[in-house]
Amino acid sequence: MMRPKSTMELVPGDDETYYLNMGPQHPSTHGVLRLRLHLEGERILGAEPVIGYGHRAHEKMAENRDYLQFLPNTSRIDYLSGMIYNLGYCQAIEKAMQIEVPERAEYIRVICAELNRLTSHLLWLGTYLLDLGGFTPFLYAFDDREKLLDILDSVTGSRLTYCYGRFGGVSMDVDDTFLRAAADYCTYFRKRLDEYHALVTHNIIFRHRTKGVGVMGPELALDYGVSGPCLRAAGVARDLRKDEPYGIYDRFAFDIVTAEGGDCFARHMVRMGEMEQSLNIIEQAVGGIPDGPVLAPKVPKRIRPPAGEHYFAVESARGHFGMYLRSDGTDVPVRLKLRTPSFVHVATMPVVLPGTMLADTVAILGSIDIVIPEIDR
Amino acid sequence: MFRETLIGAWSLLVGMKVTLSHILRAPVTSQYPRERIEMSKAYRNVIRLIEIEEIGSHDCIDCQACVRVCPSDCINVEGERPDGMRKKRATLFEVEFALCSECGLCLDVCPTNTLGYSREYDQAGFRRDDFLYDLLDEWRDKEEGVRTRLREEEAQKAATKAAAASKVTAARKAKDEAAAKEEGPAAAGDAGNSAAEGEA
Ligand code: SF4
Ligand code: SF4
Repeated sequence: MMRPKSTMELVPGDDETYYLNMGPQHPSTHGVLRLRLHLEGERILGAEPVIGYGHRAHEKMAENRDYLQFLPNTSRIDYLSGMIYNLGYCQAIEKAMQIEVPERAEYIRVICAELNRLTSHLLWLGTYLLDLGGFTPFLYAFDDREKLLDILDSVTGSRLTYCYGRFGGVSMDVDDTFLRAAADYCTYFRKRLDEYHALVTHNIIFRHRTKGVGVMGPELALDYGVSGPCLRAAGVARDLRKDEPYGIYDRFAFDIVTAEGGDCFARHMVRMGEMEQSLNIIEQAVGGIPDGPVLAPKVPKRIRPPAGEHYFAVESARGHFGMYLRSDGTDVPVRLKLRTPSFVHVATMPVVLPGTMLADTVAILGSIDIVIPEIDR
Repeated sequence: MFRETLIGAWSLLVGMKVTLSHILRAPVTSQYPRERIEMSKAYRNVIRLIEIEEIGSHDCIDCQACVRVCPSDCINVEGERPDGMRKKRATLFEVEFALCSECGLCLDVCPTNTLGYSREYDQAGFRRDDFLYDLLDEWRDKEEGVRTRLREEEAQKAATKAAAASKVTAARKAKDEAAAKEEGPAAAGDAGNSAAEGEA
């Protein structure tokens, strides 16, 4: 396993190198992350992420409330793909308690989760280009995201911190307007994707800033447990939706998007490809959604998963989100460990950053798409 | 090198074309304070007590289910059982909206479905108290009337029930008497014995 170079100890008497704190308040970290950089001129010798500024003790909170009451917390772990986390948590409890979810609810969950994945990738696209100095695509991406948020808002009632899932289904049924809006959006967004490719992917400046920068090879990625788009950009085709299908993901035809190189550009291409795949999934789900109830009729009033260990993982917009639950049979978890992808991704920074230039830090940090509250939890 | 410059220049032109095509599109921004946007029908804000038709007012029976389920501990309900009524009525319903996460769990558990969301959307305040909502406020002046009506209804119901019940007991009594007359004192003694056995 590659180990980060230990360059972070202050080297006395060496006046060629210096230390720089990037953050915790820095626009490109999209939150409060501090990077301690050891620099020689503009070249990075060492980097050390300092985390914990956004710590809210979600795991501890889970131990102090019953299963239902933890529901609003889930979407606040990663506020950009809150729906996936929220539904994933419901699925975890359902699996532990063997609650059957009605067909219609499963379809709704897939649609909402994929819409949420789109919003997350769009936000990434916009802010990443903003980090690199492109202002226009940011506005376009946010406009498109806004339309998606409106669609999600029409059924969940919130725009970011959804609390839509319930054990055994979802809290509210969708209507035809919602389904039509989702299908229309897919048609609309395919055209927009072409525009993004024309405006961003083919742009020479963008290519120069991202190609060959921040290389995270398959070995490094697998060593560290990198997942999601960052792993697929390294050429490893791994996606929980395909490899360990949860919910009804095995019913839909979609590809695992991979790219070669593991650099910032590859990560960009993977996310762009994933948005297209999400559109495919949404279209299939909207076409195949059956009628019926959206909440299982016999959900126990007191949620008491059987004593023992339970594990469940979903593919969030950033990667592998796992929930490890220890239950003692009561209605409060003994322990709920949340395995979040960004935490792992930011841990690769001490290896990926050294040797690059200071200006590339922003490009690299942005390309792994970290969400700070999700690192800290 | 020359080739790359050309390709680069071309890519910039293509990008320019995209941006230029956007100049002609209608603006997407809503001019917020001047222009109000319509909230979606699922929109969630501070909870409120909604009217239940049969009651003509809210139907909070102070069951404390919402208080217990709320993860943020932001609901405070007190109630009393008005004289001559079987059900309770809420006398205090406070929500500290600054703590509420709009999760909707309270709506799910309410047995009388009397909780809903308000449609407000631009609350802002300078003090914490600004977000302390008294949900009974809008129903207070109706409360007396509602109680009187409910009491009457309940009394009526009780009366009809009692009447029905007394009818049934009267019928049974008459039947028993008739049976006792027919079978004579022996049968009555038997019945007494078996009842005693049952008790033992
Ligand atoms: S919506 Fe959730 S947080 Fe708000 S009052 Fe109801 S239960 Fe409490
Ligand atoms: S759950 Fe409904 S009836 Fe019970 S106290 Fe709350 S609002 Fe009142």
